[in-house]
Amino acid sequence: MSFARHCRCLALLASASLAFAAGTAGAQEPARDLPPPTQIKDLDYGDVLFHFFQDEYFDALVRLEVSRDFKRIPHHEAEAELLSGGLYLSLGLYQEAEDIFNRLLAGPVPQSVSDRAFFYLARIGYQRGYYDNAWRSLQRIRGPLPGQLEPERRLLASNVLMAQGRYGEAIEQLNGWTDKSVWADYARFNLGVALVRSGAGPQGREYLERVGTMGAQTEEQYALRDRANLALGFDSLQQKQPAAAVAALNRVRLDGPFTSKALLGLGWAESDAQHPELALAPWLELRKGKVLDAAVQESYLAVPYAYTQLAANGQAAEQYRQAVQAYAAESTRIDESIAAIRQGGFLDSILEAVPRTNDVGWFWQLQKVPDAPHTRYLYQLLASHEFQEGLKNYRDLRIMQRNLEQWRTSLEAFDGMIAAREQAAVEREPRRQALLAKTDLPALEARQSELAAHANQIKASRDVGALATGDEAREWQTLEQLEKTIESLPAGPQRDALAERARVLRGTLVWRFDSEYKVRLRSVETGLQDSADALAEARLRLALVQEAAGTAQGNTAAFAQRIAELAARIDGIAPRVEATANAQERVLANIAIGELEAQKKRLANYTMQAQFALASLYDGATGGTK
Amino acid sequence: MISMKQLTGRPWLAGLVAIAGFAATFAAGAADAQAAPSATAAPPASAAADATRGVDQDVQVLKKQLVDLNRDLFKLEEELLYPASTQVAVFLSVDVGTFFALDSVTLKIDDKEVAHYLYTDREVQALHRGGVQKLYLGNLKAGRHEIVAFFSGKGPHDRDYRRGATLLLDKEVGAKYVELRISDRVTSLEPEFVVRQWE
Repeated sequence: MSFARHCRCLALLASASLAFAAGTAGAQEPARDLPPPTQIKDLDYGDVLFHFFQDEYFDALVRLEVSRDFKRIPHHEAEAELLSGGLYLSLGLYQEAEDIFNRLLAGPVPQSVSDRAFFYLARIGYQRGYYDNAWRSLQRIRGPLPGQLEPERRLLASNVLMAQGRYGEAIEQLNGWTDKSVWADYARFNLGVALVRSGAGPQGREYLERVGTMGAQTEEQYALRDRANLALGFDSLQQKQPAAAVAALNRVRLDGPFTSKALLGLGWAESDAQHPELALAPWLELRKGKVLDAAVQESYLAVPYAYTQLAANGQAAEQYRQAVQAYAAESTRIDESIAAIRQGGFLDSILEAVPRTNDVGWFWQLQKVPDAPHTRYLYQLLASHEFQEGLKNYRDLRIMQRNLEQWRTSLEAFDGMIAAREQAAVEREPRRQALLAKTDLPALEARQSELAAHANQIKASRDVGALATGDEAREWQTLEQLEKTIESLPAGPQRDALAERARVLRGTLVWRFDSEYKVRLRSVETGLQDSADALAEARLRLALVQEAAGTAQGNTAAFAQRIAELAARIDGIAPRVEATANAQERVLANIAIGELEAQKKRLANYTMQAQFALASLYDGATGGTK
Repeated sequence: MISMKQLTGRPWLAGLVAIAGFAATFAAGAADAQAAPSATAAPPASAAADATRGVDQDVQVLKKQLVDLNRDLFKLEEELLYPASTQVAVFLSVDVGTFFALDSVTLKIDDKEVAHYLYTDREVQALHRGGVQKLYLGNLKAGRHEIVAFFSGKGPHDRDYRRGATLLLDKEVGAKYVELRISDRVTSLEPEFVVRQWE
């Protein structure tokens, strides 16, 4: 499996879960080709998608789980379930993902969701080699899938059919494929390769030829075209058709990932066509490359071979000597690498060399790892799917380890916060106690009752004078004293005149009391209601103050307990992460050492061939002299 | 006399098999977008395969536990630092966004800058695809607050463009969500910036 495909795989597995997902390596698709985004009804779901669309699958998954626990995405439940399955899948949790899809399909879900869940299940089935299951899931997809998912479904279907050996049906799938998407090109390539392998060479080459001559626009298409031409070229070589091989291999770009293999094949094709002088050009070019490249290694034998064909035996002998030296030097470097890998820690350079984000394209960054003994062959090792998967696991574990360390620091800070809150509560306690002590709520309530009773009495007796203002009450009192004084005066017109004036004043005051009575009574009643409300509020607040200490203690205690539990979980899991990462590294080290030892054997074989050829050349030269 | 070709022993078959890429081209069989099981790959020795499988299973179990642990840690952090009674969350979304290329956003609450964010291409693309960024999470007391957002970027005709949008927020007891939304005003071929509360 190529690195590019692996990267695409990660992006696609997850993006397939969305109706509006761009499908094919989203970042490479022009935005204008994207379907309009779904209406986000819950902002938190949009936040999950924000991370998901940046290929930050772990973050997206955690946020999704948090939002679901907080019940913040009620409008996207089915989509969220589907997305979580896709995210687990992209993290390599196949069983978890499969359980989610099956659970989802057991309930009533819209067809758009069930179709995508079946698509996922088909993909899992295919990846794990359960082709019959994969085919059954594909058969249960009812409608066309949205966006780029539909051509991907067809590609998956043709792959499953090919895996089952049903080439005829796979060809039928392809024949009805009229769109110009890169998926169809992938499908043609796969079919071409499968047919060649199954013995139907001419038919297979026809498909490969179509891919090899297609008009490419993107890097992905160029790479696929190169692969098709490389496959065609080497197949033609095996079929003893050097002219066809030259034609195909000449179509491979000079600056692509398949350049060195194409140059090697091109040389052999020219050599087979009895054009050793033409074979030399690509081989000499190839020999400028790094010796760790298998094609470059072979060019060290191919170049002198061409010289011998041209009867330039002196140059050939010199080239063989150089080959022996180069192989010896490379073999020494491999020994150094094996020793370095055995020492352990050889994968740590990966984490330094690649970005810390979960960029799905991070494998490419490994081309840039330093040329040190423990990293020199890393990129070549990635040709193995097993190594890639293991490396991804290792990297994921190391990233999660850092994540745990960050949480550990955060938990310490949280612990500090809780302690500060407890301290603040302790400091507040005397003030709280003082407030409670000086607050005599029952006395206030009694006073309120008294006032209310008095108001009721005034109302019942319509005692208008009881609601007089302070000035009015004083005036009333003054008037009563005056009346007494007037009564004590000797009878006569003067006293009568004064009594009459007092009577008028009394009438005026009574009239005023009476006319203002209703307003004043309402004002008194409103005031009493306000004070009753204020008392009720005070009762509530007092209760809160009385409870405050207990609640605060309860809250902080609950948080403290959660912090302690989570810290314990981190403490429990961290050594397991470390142990598993180390175990993963050991597995990868064994794979790497196995591969490097195989390379050494190959170099030894090449060395033997070079020495044998050299001896033969000397032998021939000696024989010629004789 | 033995021919030179025979003498030198052309490294033909060894070479072809050695070139991993070529072998892989046919062996893996599929240039698809999937992890196709390699039909021709030599099966690893059973002990090594068991070790690989065992580690892979351990990794799967661990990853699930780590997801669960992270979920619980996230929940604790939010409940502790941003309790529901005072929480305010500000999100940013882009609807179409043809007339505006977002560079940065500055967020002020009650005239105090609480967030300033520079966007990468990758983030802008995620917004265009329907993602919504949680730009700010904080606490506010109950009462009236002014939220102001300044959007900077490239507007129509690739001109520098800076606009502001304001919202008066009546914060009550309970979490409050605010959305900063960038959309297109088709009639004037201008971007539109809206700040709105979510109920």
